[in-house]
Amino acid sequence: MSKLITMNVDGQELQVEEGKNLIDALSAVGIHIPHFCYHPALGFDGNCRMCLVEVEGARGPQIACNTPVKEGMKVSLSSESSMNLRRKVLEFELINHPLDCPICDQAGECKLQDYYMEAGLSKSRMEVEKVAKEKNLDFGCGVVHDQERCVLCARCVRFLRKYTKTAELGIVNRCDKAKVTTFPEKPINNRYALNVVDICPVGAMTSRDFRFKQRVWFMSSEKSVCHGCAKGCSIYVDHNQEKYKAERVYRFRPRENAQVNGHFMCDAGRLSYRKENENRLTTAKASERFEAVDIATSQAVALLSAAKGKAVFIVSPSWTTEQMAVAKSLATHYDGYLSGYADGYIVKGDGDDLLLKEDKAANRASLELLGISTDRQKLISNLKTAEVVVVLNNDLSLTASDKREFEALFAGKQVIFVGSHRIALADSAQTVIPCASYTEYAGVVVNVDSILQEVTCAIEKECFARRPEQVMAALSGNAIKAELGAVRQQLSASVPALAQVDWNAIPENGLNLKGGAQ
Amino acid sequence: MSAEVKPTRANKPFVFNAENEAKFQKLLTRYPDTAALNLPGLWLIQQQDGWISYEAMEYLAERINIPVTQVYEVATFYTMYNLQPVGKYHFQVCRTLSCELRGGEEILAHLTKKLGIKPGETSKDGRYTLTKVECLGSCGSGPMFQLNDDYHEWLTVEKVDEILAKLP
Repeated sequence: MSKLITMNVDGQELQVEEGKNLIDALSAVGIHIPHFCYHPALGFDGNCRMCLVEVEGARGPQIACNTPVKEGMKVSLSSESSMNLRRKVLEFELINHPLDCPICDQAGECKLQDYYMEAGLSKSRMEVEKVAKEKNLDFGCGVVHDQERCVLCARCVRFLRKYTKTAELGIVNRCDKAKVTTFPEKPINNRYALNVVDICPVGAMTSRDFRFKQRVWFMSSEKSVCHGCAKGCSIYVDHNQEKYKAERVYRFRPRENAQVNGHFMCDAGRLSYRKENENRLTTAKASERFEAVDIATSQAVALLSAAKGKAVFIVSPSWTTEQMAVAKSLATHYDGYLSGYADGYIVKGDGDDLLLKEDKAANRASLELLGISTDRQKLISNLKTAEVVVVLNNDLSLTASDKREFEALFAGKQVIFVGSHRIALADSAQTVIPCASYTEYAGVVVNVDSILQEVTCAIEKECFARRPEQVMAALSGNAIKAELGAVRQQLSASVPALAQVDWNAIPENGLNLKGGAQ
Repeated sequence: MSAEVKPTRANKPFVFNAENEAKFQKLLTRYPDTAALNLPGLWLIQQQDGWISYEAMEYLAERINIPVTQVYEVATFYTMYNLQPVGKYHFQVCRTLSCELRGGEEILAHLTKKLGIKPGETSKDGRYTLTKVECLGSCGSGPMFQLNDDYHEWLTVEKVDEILAKLP
């Protein structure tokens, strides 16, 4: 943190960080200056004029996004003349705006709407007809554009030029004909495209996937971590329970985290929320028949007790660290072999320099922390002598060669599958027990850069899927500890890297286990 | 030209001819950054073809190593770039105040009648294009129009007929 300086905002003395612009410096102390075009990741552009503020001694109003804070600076934000500046800018922005908030997807999280409520005129003074532009334009990659709602802040244009460097969008024409568009026949084509929907301060950019699905004010948000790849971007899980319907996740949004993902996330990760709602495993199976979960569980316990010392456990590389620790206890309880083999989760050539990683497992780092072997040969040799195989949500059918080989190895053995989704094994295993997925439990995951982040439970799906640690405790005949607190205590005691973790106060931005914790 | 014109395909690739390539090479040495050639590059294209096609924008973007959207932005911002083919003779009639006060409307009406096309149109034989434009900075000598690269000032209906008669 750099030096603090003292400045005055609306007569109030404040300590702010030196070297920042007014918007950033003041937002750090909880004061929001209205703005459209400025975005911390994209820098200032100064085109929207919404952040005009009065600075004492300056020649006329200044744009806060390009005004660095200075010692002794006096800024007026809420005076009548400052409000008047904002009112005038908003009046210009709304000259050709269609005012279709009731049918606009952005309503509720729209800056234009918020600022107008705060400072705008209640009634329009415009008497001339508005300029009509195109609506519902498909820009590609699931981005839908409405030219009439656009305030021409150029955030989307700058994002695609500065961040993805693909530059598919531009602002063409001039004056009231100006509009954001692609070069004809060259739609947006990159793996981070849907971020333009997030950074659009108004309803001009909407997501084909999310639009008209939910009103944002009906949804609740939980802070969590994306399980799409080993990067583990910080996200918000937006979920809602509609009347007479099961609760479900409606979208993932990136959560700002300088340590991990900055402000953005990839499209694949963003759309991976669908997996939380689709193809879920909901029924238990025992002796190849559908059964109640309890019956399936007690049959599994009987099988495992009979095969003591001859059981192999294969744990998912995306489960939380706590769940992996419980899996370890479970394997020890039955004197079995625990493997975290997950080479199939690595998709070669699928990573890039921005956020995407080749490894699609969310918590591989914890396998290493807990000393769980990921060796293929060891797993195969243990499988050859095993009688019972317990697959703990690890998908071994991700590559064709693995699929063939493990199917052959599983033949003639009792296979118990504990899983959240209906993968191939859910059909072939004799015993199947459904469990919760990662929006339905709490815990921690460690990403590829050794940053430990907390996953919070957004949805309780106790009705058909218990949390994995509960399922595992039941599989041990309730002989092992599976409560989060107890497991965490045990983790702190046994894993040196986790010894210093304060489990009740994991920072929102995560904890760097390699030191330099923030 | 209307401001709403989208890039039009010429359906043939664009390449600078020898003369323009030499000019382009000279321009390359003039600026520290190739992106600065966006405007002059578009001018060269327009000098060569009379208008700027979809393919030409792509060509220029590649030559000066900037995104094609950036060329598109500039080409649509300035109204003097023609984004659609124009006739052999392009009449750009000033419609701004000074010319209008001195009878610009009459000149435009006369041209419309004589050429048989409305402002914004090109004659079927590709000989004439008629466009209404904003001030051409020749206010002291209105009414006026620009015919291709030349200004014709202090116009009267008779003078317009004279000019038309002289066109090869």
